[in-house]
Amino acid sequence: MNAPTHPGIAPPLSAGRLIAMLAVLLAAALAVAGGCSLVGITPLSQLDAQIWAIRLVRLLVGALVGAALGAAGTALQGILRNPLADPFILGISSGAGVGVLMGMAVSSWQRGLPTVLSIPAMGLIGAAVTCAVVYGIAQRRGRLDPYVLLLSGVIVNAFNGAIMLAIFLFIKPYVVSAYVIWTMGRLTDNVSWQALVLSSVCVAGGWSLLIFRGSAFNTLGLGDEVASSSGVAVNRLRIETFVVVSLVTAAAVALAGPIGFVGLIVPHICRFIVGPDHRRLMLVSGFIGAMFLMSADTLCRTAGEWVGMGEIPVGIVTAFCGGPFFIFLLRRRGREGWS
Amino acid sequence: MNDRRHAIEARELVFSYRPGQPVLRGVSVACGTGKLLCVLGRNGSGKTTLLRCLLGQLAPQRGAIELDGKELRRHSRRQLARLLAYVPQFPASAFAFTVGELVLMGRYCHTGLMGLATERDRSVAREAMKMTGTLAFAGRTLEELSGGEAQCVMIARALAQQPSVILLDEPTSHLDIRNQLMIYRMMQRLAHDWQMAVVCVSHDVNLAARFADELLLMRDGEVVAAGPPPEVIRQDVLERTYDVGIDLLPAGGDVPIVVGR
Repeated sequence: MNAPTHPGIAPPLSAGRLIAMLAVLLAAALAVAGGCSLVGITPLSQLDAQIWAIRLVRLLVGALVGAALGAAGTALQGILRNPLADPFILGISSGAGVGVLMGMAVSSWQRGLPTVLSIPAMGLIGAAVTCAVVYGIAQRRGRLDPYVLLLSGVIVNAFNGAIMLAIFLFIKPYVVSAYVIWTMGRLTDNVSWQALVLSSVCVAGGWSLLIFRGSAFNTLGLGDEVASSSGVAVNRLRIETFVVVSLVTAAAVALAGPIGFVGLIVPHICRFIVGPDHRRLMLVSGFIGAMFLMSADTLCRTAGEWVGMGEIPVGIVTAFCGGPFFIFLLRRRGREGWS
Repeated sequence: MNDRRHAIEARELVFSYRPGQPVLRGVSVACGTGKLLCVLGRNGSGKTTLLRCLLGQLAPQRGAIELDGKELRRHSRRQLARLLAYVPQFPASAFAFTVGELVLMGRYCHTGLMGLATERDRSVAREAMKMTGTLAFAGRTLEELSGGEAQCVMIARALAQQPSVILLDEPTSHLDIRNQLMIYRMMQRLAHDWQMAVVCVSHDVNLAARFADELLLMRDGEVVAAGPPPEVIRQDVLERTYDVGIDLLPAGGDVPIVVGR
């Protein structure tokens, strides 16, 4: 592969790639080590085994959420031909958040509802509706304005945020703080095994569907007309992708709240490592996303304990990194005049 | 020679984006194998709409389009892509693929679920690059090429589909004279040497008249004239098509040079 021109992709020099891969491996090792250091590996008493299980659940949640957001972001950037697309920025995460919050609020009034099913299902509805709205605003006569797309994401995000605040009014005051932390996006080990299985199925299923769309995403980069004349069912591909992205995003949000910018950063890391081919990108993005979030969360957990703040929600840290990265991409893109 | 069989044929197409405002009002067009057909006309005369109908991307309200002896809409999208390829006006790829990878994407309609290229796909792509003279920069990206080279890559990508009909939308509109000539020669070669049906929407009357086997002149969604260039390049026909005074200057060949007054 030659010098890239796609904004946000650094030159895939072999040395650079090596460094990136090492960094990723290092981060993964860090995640595991962080998990281990807090537990102590040597004597495995019954208590240790329980702590291990708890840590393992949390790592698994991180892997699931990271894989979901990484794959969703890569698919969105491909389908919209926009290196700034991400489920969080486009408001899909907050849409899922509204759905999930509604599900949780309802179940807090009335126990006995099968929340394992109803919460992700509500999340999916919220995400899908948001997808349709954002795409509907940004698309005019079959053309998609990349800036209008981002702006409509901003507006829909604000709108969804207002709905979430309104929902807080209806929640019993003593549980509100837990909900607030949830909206920041955090990983937890307090997940039922049913929820874990259900989200695993959603994420794995959605991700594999997206992997099979890799070559269609590649062709779509040549424009709708060329893609369609090459045999890609463009409209069907868009709708399918939006539904799948909504599904995996809803699964992620139901587990961990709306964690931002993972879906923005991960595709760029992946392009840096494997180049622009979506057949490889879709495969790699899930793994990198999982490692990314696991390491970020381990960092948050340990760093929070060091400074004596308790846990820092991982969503805060990803937003801290993601915001400047977004601005960097935006500036870089403006300079290259790509749209 | 099988001149009577048309690779692509449209009869009495009527199309409107909005009810009551037809953009095509009964357009008939046919292009046989081994022929280069150029569609001429003013901006907004319905040329691009016609092309998009022929591509199967717009469904005409009335009329029929036959491709390879079968109604266009009865072909599946993949089947269609194996018969009919498209070259856009502006070559662009949002992702930084190399020329070789872009041409290989033309094999999409021939590959399986994962879109993995076989040895045969690679050799077809290589052949397409050879035909268009793009093999030399197979490792570069589109942005590193000149406009003419990039357009050749898009033609190579279309050829990789191994179509029998190829449609081009103003492929030379942003090219210099040398590259315009090169693209027209290439289209002529695809038609005459490779027995494809080539349909090209164009704004350059003189180049079209010089290289095309057939011309189709459109105005306000209707056909003004159709036929071989010597029959169609007449002052009254052109003035009606373009709504402007036209002078014909004698040239070396059998078609005069067209100049707007």
